Amino acid sequence: LVDKCIGSRIHIVMKSDKEIVGTLLGFDDFVNMVLEDVTEFEITPEGRRITKLDQILLNGNNITMLVPGGEGPEV
Amino acid sequence: MNASSALVTKTKLMGPTEDLVSPVQRMIVKMSLRKQTPSDFLKQIIGRPVVVKLNSGVDYRGVLACLDGYMNIALEQTEEYVNGQLKNKYGDAFIRGNNGNTSLQFYSI
Repeated sequence: LVDKCIGSRIHIVMKSDKEIVGTLLGFDDFVNMVLEDVTEFEITPEGRRITKLDQILLNGNNITMLVPGGEGPEV
Repeated sequence: MNASSALVTKTKLMGPTEDLVSPVQRMIVKMSLRKQTPSDFLKQIIGRPVVVKLNSGVDYRGVLACLDGYMNIALEQTEEYVNGQLKNKYGDAFIRGNNGNTSLQFYSI
């Protein structure tokens, strides 16, 4: 299922009230994810955080939910 | 009823992004977004300046010396950022991979 999302926008919700929106480049058996063009959102304190270009590797340990094609809490 | 249900199955089989994109555009997209697993990504970024972000909110910026399958990391010339800048570490810094409540996000600058 996640395999279908490769190449498209995905929205990741983590255990710690943080959300990450980016383009999915790849993932592995542990659901660590490689994302590109990433924006990071904190839920409670404020809105957006940093827009990180390039690529990130996100550790799968704290991922709660994956939403294909989603946008963050605010644009 | 039969005609409309046949139409529905057709659009389902075609996939979400393929119908409206011209072949040239599709080729360009495929060239820039190669399928890349985390291990490939890690091989690529070794030696590059990276930021490692822990779940606790602490940022470590340095040059990635090496790392292993458990995501233990060795960085060189690391700086530690919490809200402002806290400690400056030169030489080597070692970060433990999996702590149960630490997640790592690396991004190369």
